[in-house]
Amino acid sequence: MNLKVSLNQDLICISPAVSLCKHCGSKNNQNKNGFCCLGCKTVYNLLNSSGLGNYYTLRAKTAEAEFIKPIESVAHNYQYLDDPEFKKKYSNPSATKMDFYLEGIHCAACLWLIEKLPTLCSEVLTSNLDVGRSVVHITIKQGGFFAPVAKTLAELGYNPHAIEHDTQAHLLQVKENRSWLIRIGVAGACAGNVMLMSVPLYSGLTGKLGIAFQWLSLLLFLPIVFYCATPFYRAAWASLYSKTISIDQPIVLAIVLGTLASIAHLISGSDLVYFDSLAALVFLLLSSRYILRRIQQNTFHSSHMLHFLSPSLAKLIDLKTGATKEVNVSVLKRGDYIKVNPSEVLPADGIVRFGTSSINAALLTGESVPKSVCAGEIVFSGTVNEDGVIDIEVTELGANTRLGKILKQIESGSLKKAEISTFADKVARWFLLAVFLAALIVFLSSSSFSEGFSRALALIIVTCPCALALATPLAMSVALGRAAKSGILIKGADVLEKISQAKNIILDKTGTLTEGNFEVLGFYQNKQIDNLKEIIYALEAQSKHPFAKAITSFLKPQIKNTLPEIFNYKETIGLGVSGSILNQQFEIRPLRSAYHSAVAISCNQEQVCEIYLGDVIRKETIRSIKKVKRFKLNPFILSGDNKGAVENIAWQLKIPFSQTEACADPETKKLFIENHPQSIMVGDGANDALALSTAFVGIAVHGSMEVSLRAADVYLTNPGLTPVVHLLELARDTRNTIYRNFAFSLFYNFIGGIAAATGHVTPLFAAILMPLSAFTVFGSSMIGARK
Amino acid sequence: MNIIVLLIPLALLLAITFVVAFIWAANQGQYDDLETPAHKMLLDETIEHIERNSKNDL
Repeated sequence: MNLKVSLNQDLICISPAVSLCKHCGSKNNQNKNGFCCLGCKTVYNLLNSSGLGNYYTLRAKTAEAEFIKPIESVAHNYQYLDDPEFKKKYSNPSATKMDFYLEGIHCAACLWLIEKLPTLCSEVLTSNLDVGRSVVHITIKQGGFFAPVAKTLAELGYNPHAIEHDTQAHLLQVKENRSWLIRIGVAGACAGNVMLMSVPLYSGLTGKLGIAFQWLSLLLFLPIVFYCATPFYRAAWASLYSKTISIDQPIVLAIVLGTLASIAHLISGSDLVYFDSLAALVFLLLSSRYILRRIQQNTFHSSHMLHFLSPSLAKLIDLKTGATKEVNVSVLKRGDYIKVNPSEVLPADGIVRFGTSSINAALLTGESVPKSVCAGEIVFSGTVNEDGVIDIEVTELGANTRLGKILKQIESGSLKKAEISTFADKVARWFLLAVFLAALIVFLSSSSFSEGFSRALALIIVTCPCALALATPLAMSVALGRAAKSGILIKGADVLEKISQAKNIILDKTGTLTEGNFEVLGFYQNKQIDNLKEIIYALEAQSKHPFAKAITSFLKPQIKNTLPEIFNYKETIGLGVSGSILNQQFEIRPLRSAYHSAVAISCNQEQVCEIYLGDVIRKETIRSIKKVKRFKLNPFILSGDNKGAVENIAWQLKIPFSQTEACADPETKKLFIENHPQSIMVGDGANDALALSTAFVGIAVHGSMEVSLRAADVYLTNPGLTPVVHLLELARDTRNTIYRNFAFSLFYNFIGGIAAATGHVTPLFAAILMPLSAFTVFGSSMIGARK
Repeated sequence: MNIIVLLIPLALLLAITFVVAFIWAANQGQYDDLETPAHKMLLDETIEHIERNSKNDL
């Protein structure tokens, strides 16, 4: 996974300059002893005292400086890892093995350091890192603990996330990959040797030796037709069974007919033997499909791993002692009390028992205004605690929470997603018909039965859509690789094709078009009062409500005089703040309205000022929307927020109000998507998840919730709408590449068809034409990638 | 040209040996992770290289 961290750092110098941190090399070090922070110093000393100082020499040679980050202080103690319940799920039966996904793996120095873990932790027996997947397999001593190991990893700067120990699905995937690879290897070896046998035949070898070479090529061809090509037979049969035509059927037809005809010719003593062409064909097709498969697996793995980046920890309160203990969410029970600190995500549904705070439910409902809560109120998992510390009694967990129910709906719905017939399949249908018609015409128009038969056969073999079948997987592999490089994770190959077929683009507002933070939009003073701005600032500075934060950061640069002293300050959750200044009673309270978010300031019950707040649009959104419109996509805004906020954004983006829908709950959003077929849905929250899973294509933007990630077809690792534009461009380029590839391969097939009809096809002709068309398509895909 | 009668089976035998070796290696899982071993190979050499260089400097 390529989560780029752009830190303003210079190259790590081999002779460290005085101003650079000795561990991370960042410039801004305040301390004089050569480190930017305590974390870096700890790691540096730890490594040097364990004799692992080589890490720095090694890193200077292999790492890209932008990936090296200063060490953050480790907040967790990872006790939950040694919880018996947790071990049961994530470790092997003897509790000695565990797999972790590590953040921040980037180079050979990381690999070296991680595999030296036994030197650092005496508990660890072996530590094996899989660099490609960023997964480390750790074995510890019998009866050892994982918590200190995880803590060491975190201290080294690799944030660990426990993942399920080699799941059945993963093992199956590994096994299947191996069998594909063996098929390719066998096909390659056999095809190569068949070609070797064919060279003397083409250069004129005849007689007994010639016949012996032909029989030898048959022998070498047998493993290909009976073993290597089996995936094509299976795929062709499967689509035949479901009464559809795919590209696999003409391929299988050519392989089977070609083999039978060649054997018949061999027995009858003719030299029309096509083993070499067919062998090369199977080898090329297998290879192209394997490449696409691997790229899809890698992207899927990356997007799957992102799930672990969302917090799965909770602070469990021991009711007897009042102490808190960090546990994994999976071990919580109903009735447990948990503590939630500011800016943490609630891990379960529950009832607030102690403390007050405001809860931001933007990701769950789309509402951008946080809701104030106090003891006795119900809160939901997946929402964010904004300011206060609250204790919650857990009422629902996991699949029974509101979030869990959405997730369940998505998982049952994801199977029903509309299948599209790909362009390749459509072409295959016409292609098959055309080939059969041509073969029939050639057969009927020939002078003799045997000549007509052999020409028709040659036509079917030589027009085998090898290049046609290569066209899509090659173009897709290149596109998926390019997307992953620019931080766009695409879960399936057909997604790109769907994107280029889409007609509408439906955008969520909060968090997608906007930042999701409040800012002051307007400040209207009705009556002149001295030092009003200072008074408002002083009152709001004591509150932690998001409105207060927005107002104080707005007023801060305008403050000229000293702040007044406040008496009788009082904050009522949900009803604003009040206080008296110079014997005048000031009050700031929210204005209730369906159209906007605002607060009113009153002095002695008389309203003196109004402040309007809103969620501001992202800087690049306007430009992105303009570009999106150029792709002939009709933009819609679909939000759970109030009508005023939605129309305000729509007005700024020049999207007609008729193409907006406000106050939409998850079900309304789903319905909206169903009423607008062929739509791309872009969203982030749990309230978008249902819509994302129903949509033609679902795109989850950066910072989305886990449910949305699961529901979406595409995940963007960079914020904003710019990656969406990139994705649209990529889809367009890929479609063009596929069209070009198809044009090339159809052109070759046309030449082959003409030659076969006029009786000019010889095995040599086929042996040249087929690879030539394949390599043209290959070259065309690669040129498409360079743009 | 009669030598070809001996050479062809020999060549095929060689090819079969390599295919069998490949199948064995694939089943052993030697191609499961293509990235890490590439780094590892680089790694050992780099460290030895550095050590040798530093000795030369002294």
